[in-house]
This record gives sequence, structure tokens and C-alpha cells, in this order.
Amino acid sequence: MSTTTERGSAAVPVVPRAARGAARRRVRGRAERSTGASIALHATLLVASAIAVFPVLWILFISLGPSTAWQQPNEVLHHLGLGNYRFVLLHSHFPRWFLNSVIVAAATTVLGVLVSASAGYAVSRMRFPGHRPLMWTFLVTQMFPMAVLIVPLYNLLVQLDLLDTYIGLVLVYCTISVPFCAWMLKGYFDTIPREIDEAGRVDGLTPFGTFWRLVMPLAKPGLAVTAFFSFLTAWGEVAYSNQFMRDPHTTLAVGIRTFAADQRADWGSMTAASVVIAIPAAIVFMLVQKHLVTGLTAGGTKG
Amino acid sequence: MTTATMDEPARDAKAPGPRGSQRRGTTPLQSLRRSWDKHWYAWAMVAPVVIVIAVLVLYPLCYGLYLSFTNANERNVAQNIGPIHIGATYDFVGLHNYWQILSGRDGDFYPRLEWTVIWTVSCVALTYAIGLAMAMLLNRPVRFRLFYRLALILPWAVPAFIGVFAWRLMFNSQYGVFNDIITKVGLPAQDWLGTPFAQKIAVILVNIWCGVPFMMVALLGGLQAIPNELYEAAEMDGATPLQRFFNVTVPGLRPVTNTVILLSTVWTFNMFPIIYLLLGNNTTGDTDILVTHAYEMAFSGGAADYAGSATYGIVILMILVAFSTFYRRQLKTQD
Amino acid sequence: MRRGISAVAMAAAIVLGVTACGGGSGSSKSDSGKAKDPASVSGTITYWDTSDAKNEAPTYQALVKDFEAKYPKIKVNYQNVDFGTVEQKFKAAAQSGKGAPDVVRTDVGLIPEYASLHYIAPLDGTSALQDTGDFMSGPMNTTKYDGKTYGVPSVTDTLGLLYNKEIFAKAGISSPPKTWDELIADSATIKQKVPGVAGTYVNPDSYFLFPVLFGEGADLADPAAKKVTVNSPEAVKAVTEAKKIYDTSSLKVDFASAYDNMQTSFKTGKVAMLVQGPWSVGDDLTGSAFQGAKESNLGYAPVPAGSSGKALAPTGGHDLAVYQGSKNLDAAYLFTQFMTSSSSQQQIALKNGTLPTRTSAYTPEVLKNGTIAGFKPIMDTARPRVALPQVGSLFTPLQQQYIKILQGQTSVQAGLDAAAKEFGKLLPGYTVQ
Repeated sequence: MSTTTERGSAAVPVVPRAARGAARRRVRGRAERSTGASIALHATLLVASAIAVFPVLWILFISLGPSTAWQQPNEVLHHLGLGNYRFVLLHSHFPRWFLNSVIVAAATTVLGVLVSASAGYAVSRMRFPGHRPLMWTFLVTQMFPMAVLIVPLYNLLVQLDLLDTYIGLVLVYCTISVPFCAWMLKGYFDTIPREIDEAGRVDGLTPFGTFWRLVMPLAKPGLAVTAFFSFLTAWGEVAYSNQFMRDPHTTLAVGIRTFAADQRADWGSMTAASVVIAIPAAIVFMLVQKHLVTGLTAGGTKG
Repeated sequence: MTTATMDEPARDAKAPGPRGSQRRGTTPLQSLRRSWDKHWYAWAMVAPVVIVIAVLVLYPLCYGLYLSFTNANERNVAQNIGPIHIGATYDFVGLHNYWQILSGRDGDFYPRLEWTVIWTVSCVALTYAIGLAMAMLLNRPVRFRLFYRLALILPWAVPAFIGVFAWRLMFNSQYGVFNDIITKVGLPAQDWLGTPFAQKIAVILVNIWCGVPFMMVALLGGLQAIPNELYEAAEMDGATPLQRFFNVTVPGLRPVTNTVILLSTVWTFNMFPIIYLLLGNNTTGDTDILVTHAYEMAFSGGAADYAGSATYGIVILMILVAFSTFYRRQLKTQD
Repeated sequence: MRRGISAVAMAAAIVLGVTACGGGSGSSKSDSGKAKDPASVSGTITYWDTSDAKNEAPTYQALVKDFEAKYPKIKVNYQNVDFGTVEQKFKAAAQSGKGAPDVVRTDVGLIPEYASLHYIAPLDGTSALQDTGDFMSGPMNTTKYDGKTYGVPSVTDTLGLLYNKEIFAKAGISSPPKTWDELIADSATIKQKVPGVAGTYVNPDSYFLFPVLFGEGADLADPAAKKVTVNSPEAVKAVTEAKKIYDTSSLKVDFASAYDNMQTSFKTGKVAMLVQGPWSVGDDLTGSAFQGAKESNLGYAPVPAGSSGKALAPTGGHDLAVYQGSKNLDAAYLFTQFMTSSSSQQQIALKNGTLPTRTSAYTPEVLKNGTIAGFKPIMDTARPRVALPQVGSLFTPLQQQYIKILQGQTSVQAGLDAAAKEFGKLLPGYTVQ
């Protein structure tokens, strides 16, 4: 099963023609289907894709209408405009929130991936006392609803002098993303042949050198998945950010709540903001999507 | 845990102990030193994670455990209001909080637990089934495969609160697009989020929408990792597609399946934002899962019950630890 | 870690019999509030504003600028905080002594809670309180807790009955309903005579239950008798009436989007009347029923009365409170005084259409504003809610049971009994019947 790495994200392996021919005579093989089956397949995929995409497109559609478009979607086409975007981008603090979120999410991604890769590698390659409980602890940390302890956590950040700082929020986000990432990466490193490490040792590299120079470049798909996961964790989180950050360090997810104020929700601005927020997430997604499948599986299989 | 042993012996790291002495009787210090010499590199590499997790998760978690044995609430914990310091006045109550919850006296635990289990099982099972179906459809030569794949993964790339917000607009019984569509077709308008039962269906649906992409991607990779020769051999033996699915695909996916089911069970069990964001405040409380209930205790204005919510947190942790231990043991006996 | 919670400190607390109450509240705060010359006060303070970021906040920001111009030595760090999460955010910050604002705009219902936790400073005798005789008594009462003043009233509101005059005319109804029964009868007339329009839209938020409860002389609890009264016979009668309104007179309520749908239905003329507060009027005036020249189509009336014969609604609004741990109390007092002065209140009223708390701020110019003119007389019906520190926590159980009652999953009596039982858990020492 470790073949995944070599295969990378290549398309589904093509069954040799001879084998297909042989199979056809007996029962229907995997790689062929009747026209009817083809239509059914495409129909299913189309419906599923439509369900997956529709809510997002709906937000996009509403955002292009007047600010009350959510009440009368039929009106949108007659009043297409960018008014909502104009308000969000030019007349609110949105750009600043956006910048804050980019800083926090980028830092969480880089830091999260680095520390989880280093830990994942150590657990994958080195048998040291504690490596078993370590992975178990990672899983356990995901089981406790930390937000019930938000007040003690607040006091802890105060003590560490990390309140209302980017680094404080980044570290908190790392506690959410790193356990999963380390788990995934450990699994991924397991699929990378140990001979590579030995070659590094022969060349006189330190274990860290081997990890950094030889193994990391091979682990791109795994790193891509963890980067994606870390980014999304930081990009969409609300509760911690709301509690720990103050103007002007407010992140997007918290900032746009002011559009949805209790007494007078401004859904127009909210939809426009949602679309703008989704763009960076989509970009990160496009960058990593070709590695997602391989990266996630190797981690999952071996984790 | 490795944390305790990591920093202390650093001073004499350069003195390697004789390898042969391992079998002879040694003092704990010596064996510690030897252990350090052998493993300091690995420890150094895991240190950043361990320190962050220990400080920001394990420490608060232990503190939560401690609180669960007290009657701490926002009125009796210590306060540092600028120059004013007020000492803590809460007491130890032993296992009282646990007894309150587990004996069913608080009246909330078992109803919430029941719904939490239904919620988790249905979300995980349906997400897995749909994710697997999609993965199998995508794992064939299909035209526009890249398009389908991108479309199907999209919900993952959208922050959850935006996805839920979209669903909430669409579900709106008066102004939502779903009712616009079905009334155009001639069907009666539905109150999608009306009764607690309808709300439960809706939150499960939305959670599936959010969760399928992860499942699908993981399983797609799992499918690609199954050696083709196995299918070929099965075809040679004249296995029907159904037989191939049960004899090749299912066993081949087992490692991935085991992991994703464990992970998504843990995540779904504590997944409260979707429920909260979709339904808002005007609920009967029947749609609250255990975590939501714990939050309510921790944040209810003027009477925040820190001890009670911490106890709920610990009980949730115990349930999940028990589940995953049992689950892993079960898997081991299967292999 | 939270300092005091070590086992040692706890043991000490128990041994010495230190209690959280009383001791801390006034002893260590600077008592220079009044004596100091305002011009000599300097430093930076943080102000948390919870007003609507898009429509109201600019007015407050402008006032902050004016304040800084008047007191050049004081700098104000203005932060807009989401109203829905400010309580949680403020409490976490306040108890730790770090990250809290010096002045916070506070919902009037939160004053007893913050005061009882010692988070906000008593203001009696400080420069924050000036010309107290000028304040209307309703808003002024919301600042009191345990005999002290913990806030300065900034804006006030109450619930009234907003109605669409055009629909009323079409239905041949000459005046807004005076009692809940009249509201039900009028709704039936409207439904019959104006097709496609419903009488009202019931807001399932339990805050909007208060006018009905008060109308029967009921309340959530009786602090004097230490009794939970939410399941008293009067309360049962009131909620039965509310359920009747929901069943007979309301447009179908979408519980997940109740507030949005209620507002939209009213401002687009699908609903004839609403129990609502002045904060909603700005939004109403953007809808097709009340836009532009049709502003006068919006009618204002007191909430209908119950069988007690009296129309009563809860006093709402916002007070400015000063954080007890502020490092610059003098500046915080001065700022609070400035923001609640008559001229500031007039400016806020003119720009935002919210109701001032000072009688002197109701100038002829301010009264030209339709909302303020409409709600001014209704303010006479406002009465305070029970001033319990835990009042915030009572809303969730009440709301859950109220919705169960409305949806018919439980009877009025059983639902209120269940709510009362939950209240009993949250109010130590209270008896539940």
C-alpha cells in the first residue's frame, strides 16, 4: 500500500488492454460501462456536485443584489450591482480584519506544519520512550471541549503575556491543528522508504538534516494536506479569536459578526464578506488540491 | 509523557554511559542519562509540539479536572480586578458533580447523551456512505473528473460558518429559496427548521454537507492505493461488481476507514458550531448536544457554573476515550 | 494561571473566612474622582462601544473625537464590540484584570450582574454622575444595585406597539388595540378584510414575553419574598394569552430566523402590527411600507394591557459603566460624564434616533424625530425588570419552555413549571412552587 507516494496524483491507473479484453468476456469489468450506466454516473455526479456547490453559489448570487436581496432573490437579476462589496471593502474595517486573518492563518500554517512535521518524523523514524503515548495524547487533546475552559485559558494567556497578540492566537490555533497534522504526517513519513534516511546518514547528515533535506521534499502531498487543514482551522475560527483579540487585531470571522448585529442584521454585507473570505481559502485549496488525495490517504492508512 | 524528563538531564548530555551496563543494575539517574543520550534527538524534535500542547492544552485540561471536583462558579473563583484581589471561596465537593450528572439528577445528561449519540452515529455513517459512493464514482475514468472533484471538495474549502449561513438563508420558510422552488412546482411550503425533529434532520444534513469532502478525499486515496491486480484477479475469477466491492474494496479500504471513522466520530461528537449557527437561539433545547449543554453552563449570564461545565467536559472526554480504546481494541482483534 | 486558585490560597480563604462579597468593592479604588481638577487628568482609556457598527457607531466615534478635543491630555481607544458576545468577553477580561476596557456600554439588564461580581465601580460621588436630577427615573433605576449607582444612563428604550396605519385603515380599525384581547380581535378583522396580511408576528424571544407577563402582574421572580414566580397563576394566564396570540393572530413563525422574518414581514406590509422597540424603527423605514414619504404610515402605541388594565413593558437601553480595575478611573469618570451629558445625548438622539435618558435632552429639535416623538409617551409604560445578578441566565430556560409551549409540545402549566425548576437551580435560596 505504500505505492501511493510513487503514484502521486496521477489519474486512475489504466488497466492493461489485454486484461480488459479478458475481463469483458466474463463479467463486466471495472473500466467499462454501458451508455446507460454512463448517464447514471454523470447524473449522480452532477447532482452531487450541484448540492455541494449550490450553497456557495447562492451566497455569491445574493451578494450581487441589493442589500435586501435575501428576502427577494427574484429581484437580484434586475438589480445586479457591487454595492455590498463596495460597502464591505471600502467603508468597513474589513480590509484590516482580512490582513489580521491572513497574518494569523499564514503563521499558523507555517508554524503548524513545521512543528507537526518534525514531531511526526520523530515518531515515524525514532523509537524513543514516549512515542506511543505521544500519539495517543494527540488524539485525546481533540476529545475535550476546550472552549468550556475559555476563562482559564484567557487567564493563562494573560500570564504568558500573549493576550491580544498574533503569536498567542497562532499558538492556540496550533493546539487545534497540530495533533491532527502530526498524526497525518507520521503516517505519511511511514510510507517514505527508510533507505532514504540511511542514504542521508551515509552522506554524513544529522537526523535533522536528513529530515529537512531529504524527507521533507518527498513529503509534499502530506505537507499540503496539513497546510490546508491548518489554514482552514485558523481562517474560520471564531470563539477564541473573539475572546482573545481586540480591535484592531480582530480577525475576519469575528469582525463580520458586526454585520450580523442582533438588532439589524445586514445580510447583504454578510454575503459579500463571505464571498471575499472564501477566496483565499479557495486559492489555498487550488494550490494543494492535487496533493490532497495522496497526502490524506497515506496519513490515514498508516496513522 | 516525555515532558517531565526532557529538560532536566540536558546539562550532562555529553557524558555517554557505557552501553554494556544496560543489563547490570543501575541507578535511575544513570538510566535516565543513558536514555537521554540515546533519545535526546527525538525528544528535541517533538519538544515544540509537546511544550505547546502541554502548556495550552494539558495544563488547562488538568485544571478543568481539578475544577470538576469543586463547586467553582463565577461568583466564588478568585478575581483580579485591577488593584482589587478577591480570593477564591469554593470548596472541594469530591465526586458530587459526577454523581449529579451520571445519576441523571441534573435531568439533562441522558437526554442530551441520547441525541448526541444519534447525531454522531447518523452523521458519521451517512457521511461515510456518501463519501465512499462519491469516491468510487470518481475513482474511474470519467469525463470532467477534475471538475467533479473540485466541485465535490468545495464545501471543505469554505469556512463552516459561511456554509451554515448559506444553508440558513436557503432553509428560511418565508424567504428561502427551497420554498420558492417547491412552491413553484406546486408543493406546499415546508417549515424546514420548525419542529425539533425537522431541526435535527436539518443539522444532520448540513453537517454531512460539510463533512463529505474530507471523507471522500480520504477514501479516494484509499481506493487508489488498492493494487489493481486484486481487481483483475477478482474479475478473472468471475466475481460480480458486488462481490468485488465486498471482497476487494472493503478490505482494501479498512486501514483508511478505521482512521477516518475514529477521527470523524471524535470531531462530530463535539461539533457544536453547526447546530448553534444553523438554529440560533430560539430552540427548545432538544437539539443541544452534550457540548452545547456544557457551554451553556459555562457561559450562562450571572450564574456561570465552571465546575459543572468542566465536569461535562471530562465526562465527554471519558466517553470518547472509552470509545476509541474499545474501537482500537476491536480492530486489533479483527486483524 | 489564575493566581488565587492554588490549593494554598483556597485553604487560606476557607480558614480566614474571607468572603467574596463586600470587602473588595470600594476599599482600594482611588477616591479622587471628584476632587481632582478635570483639566489635569491625563492618560489613555479604552471604551467598548456595542452600538450598531454600521448605523450608530459613527455618532459615538464623533463624540469620542469631541471628548479628546475638550480634554487633549486624554486619549480614548475606541473599540466596537459585537453586542451579542460583549458580556462573555467583558467578564473574562474583567476577572483577570487584563484586556478589559475602562468604560463599557452595557445593556441595562447586565448592571446587577457586573455589579455583584465587583467588575464595575460604584459611581456615587464621582465626576461620572452629574446633574442626576435631570435623568428620567426609569433609566436611572436601571443603574442601581444594592443601594449604589453602578452606571450612567446613556440611551433608553422600551417595547411598544408599532403598527401600519394604512392596513389599519383598510381594515376599518380606528385606533391601535388597548388590550391583548383587542389585538386578537383586530387581527381577525385584518385577516378577513385585508387579504394576505396577518395581524402580528410573535417574536419567540422570551424578552418579548415581558409585556404580556407584566400585563397580568407577573414576573420571573420576587426577590423580596425570595420566590420564583414564573409559574404563578398570573404568569400561566399571561403565557396562555401569548399562546393564543401565536395561534390566532400571528404570521407563521420561523423559529430559526424569527427576528429577520418578523422585521421583513412588517416593513414590507405583510404584518399589521408588532411588539417592538425603537431600535427597530430605522430598519422599518427602509422597507416598502414605510420608505421615504410613507414614514408617517408607521404608528406608535403603548403595548396592549393585560387584565390588570395597565400597559407595561420592560425598560431597556444602555448604561455606561466604569471598570473597577481601570488604571485611569479619573479619565474614565470624565469620559462617562461627557458621553452622557445632555449635549452628547442630543447629538446621539439626532443622529441615531435613540431615546435620550435626560429630560433636558428632549429638545424641540430632538422631538422632531419621528421615532423619539413616537416613543417618548410610551416610555411612561416602562418598568424595571427584577434586578437579579443571575437574570441573564434565566432567559435560556424560559425561552426553551416558551418555544415548547408555542409549538404545542407541552402545556402552559407544565412548561412554566419546568422553567421554574430550572430557575430554582440558578437562584440559590429561592423557593419554587
